[in-house]
Amino acid sequence: MIPIIKITNREKITPAHQMMTLLFSIMAGLFAIGLIFLAFGVNPVFAMMKIFTGSFGSMYGIKETVTKAIPLILIGVGLAIAFRAKFWNIGAESQLLMGAIFGTWVGLNWGPHLPAPMIIPLMFLAGFIGGALWGLIPAFLKIRFSINEVISTLMMNYICAEFLTFLIVGPWKGKTKFGFPYTDDLPASAILGVIPGSRIHYVTLIVALLVVFILGVIIYKTRFGYEVRVIGENPEAARYAGIDFFRTTLIIMAISGGVAGLAGVGEVAGIHHYLSYPASISSGYGFTAIIVAWLAKLNPFFVIVAGIFFAGILVGGDAIQISLGLPAATVQIFNGTLLVFLIMGDYFLKHRITFKNNRMPHGEPDPQ
Amino acid sequence: MRTIFRVLALCLCVLLVAGVASAEDKKIKAGFIYVGPVGDLGWSHAHDLGRKFAESKLPWLESVFIESVPEADSARIIDRFIQEEKCDVVFTASFGYMDDTIKAGMKYPDKHFMHCSGFKQSKNVGTYFADLYQMYYLNGIMAGALTKSDKIGYVGAFPIPEVVRHIDAFALGAKATNPDAKVHVRWIYAWVGPDKAKEAAESLIAAGCDALAFTEDTPAVIEVGQEHSEKGKQIYTFGHYSPMQAYGVDSVVSGQLVDWGVMYVKILQSLYDGTWTKDDLYWLAAEDAAILGGDFDNIINPKFVADLKAAKVKTADFGEISTYDLVIKRYEQMKKGADVFEPFSGPINDNTGALKIKKGAKASKGDLLSIMYYVDNVVGSIPK
Repeated sequence: MIPIIKITNREKITPAHQMMTLLFSIMAGLFAIGLIFLAFGVNPVFAMMKIFTGSFGSMYGIKETVTKAIPLILIGVGLAIAFRAKFWNIGAESQLLMGAIFGTWVGLNWGPHLPAPMIIPLMFLAGFIGGALWGLIPAFLKIRFSINEVISTLMMNYICAEFLTFLIVGPWKGKTKFGFPYTDDLPASAILGVIPGSRIHYVTLIVALLVVFILGVIIYKTRFGYEVRVIGENPEAARYAGIDFFRTTLIIMAISGGVAGLAGVGEVAGIHHYLSYPASISSGYGFTAIIVAWLAKLNPFFVIVAGIFFAGILVGGDAIQISLGLPAATVQIFNGTLLVFLIMGDYFLKHRITFKNNRMPHGEPDPQ
Repeated sequence: MRTIFRVLALCLCVLLVAGVASAEDKKIKAGFIYVGPVGDLGWSHAHDLGRKFAESKLPWLESVFIESVPEADSARIIDRFIQEEKCDVVFTASFGYMDDTIKAGMKYPDKHFMHCSGFKQSKNVGTYFADLYQMYYLNGIMAGALTKSDKIGYVGAFPIPEVVRHIDAFALGAKATNPDAKVHVRWIYAWVGPDKAKEAAESLIAAGCDALAFTEDTPAVIEVGQEHSEKGKQIYTFGHYSPMQAYGVDSVVSGQLVDWGVMYVKILQSLYDGTWTKDDLYWLAAEDAAILGGDFDNIINPKFVADLKAAKVKTADFGEISTYDLVIKRYEQMKKGADVFEPFSGPINDNTGALKIKKGAKASKGDLLSIMYYVDNVVGSIPK
């Protein structure tokens, strides 16, 4: 009478089904996080309320949430494209940093000689190229040598972080920074304007929304978008259908890395105004954006909502730290737990799990 | 009409009473911003102990803190402390918060800000710092007396004046008891980097160093020293910032400790009394901010006292005395006042042979805060 668990693929997945799974995954995730809060001796309902009032409950919170959402949206939309093609890009963190490095170089060297309307587009262009080049390396390694991109993109994060550290303690160390490992400040023309009274660097925000729109159109309305989807669903079929796997993968990663690079330029030119340690420039946006893309179900337009949601959690995370005395790592635990539940939800969405008793003889066909 | 007057008068009374009542239980709310995790057993941990001490001493104080704030994020956190938490004063405890603290001072002219370790002040922004270079000097005295290989190691966080000053003070101390000893430095480019600190400590030991001091916010170097000492190769280590002797009972000789508590109480009390000024508070041993010891109970680990008492040294002012006595006497001098004994007293040459402090002269506070050269018994050059 021992029940047997039987896992089969689901034939048909309806949008309603998808929505229910998503909601249920989030609820279950929040419940699990609640248990963690309980273990800290904090009322979970109060803590969750505090997170969301800390981020969406005041003008201050909203402004900060939007500021944090900018890089998350940019990176998230790029990842959504890569993930659609089942290219698991875990290296957005360093694609952002490479963009920041390229953009800063342009800003520091050309900024003093060019006016803002010229230098800022050049910085974004340089940032895109930097991120794209860094993203192309693992793409090339995958198609040429079949090197697993999860490993290569993840490892390249460390290479880039060390390279950035080398630059700021070495050749790029600022003359005005008292020996601290920062570059000099960007010249005034290379600094992005902010909405008064906030830290929202609106140029990057507009860039992010444009990127979402363009990539949304590409994914849903163009032949290329179709090819991306086919490569993700069935690479063999794609090959038979004459889709150039080599070319498409390279373009996907150039886009995915490039938009992460744009986020890097936004962070340096909009917030920090100089390059410093990798962890200060990015604070893990490249990893958080993975969850953003996943929560958005790889839909570029949903990335906006998911990006704002996770930015809210980051900003609200400060609030629970300050008022409840929870450790700084709480937010990472929150995000990680939610991702685990989202991925689990996806599994249950794609597979049917049936319990049955082993009274039936083995080998009997599934009644379905 | 009369009723209206009565109501108004009543309202006024209520307001007055409320005003008096609130004046009586005047409270101060302070926000603390830390760069590392409070569990790091180093810089941020020590500041948080200070915050807790102040809260226990001052009944009118309410405090909130936030840890692991990247230097570039401090503006956002200051805004949250002032706007959302309604703090009256914000302490920003890392050098990298300097410019954001100054900007916040302009943005919120009726609040106070205290920036730790910086050099910029404004109308409502003050600075404070507890420096440990005297303690490094005392530890250097012990390291010089104990080393058998005449090679002393130092694991440094970042090549900035504060750390260079500490390396130099440590080297000058070592020179006082052992003119042949050289100090070897490894930079790890992290304030909290136990993995890198371990590697650096191992590399120094492999290069022949048997005494190690460091600037890094975990007991990693001490753990390496303890491991080697347990295996029979005695490595002498010196704790940094927090009580670390427990992590290396066979290795830690002494160390430098900090007490931010006394400083935070003084600053907050002055705000409460209205006597606050923006002047830089630069506290040393005389103010009880810098303390010698591997933990708060032992100035010197009892295990090494006999060795230090056996090692004699000739000094100009005390004649021939034991290293142990020299440490105690110098420590007493430092507690009397920074001018009684200055480790950076000339003649001091850098390690390229250039005279930096003339005979008979002492380093000024400005010299110390901007020091960027190695004294003559430190090996190598500072990374540019």
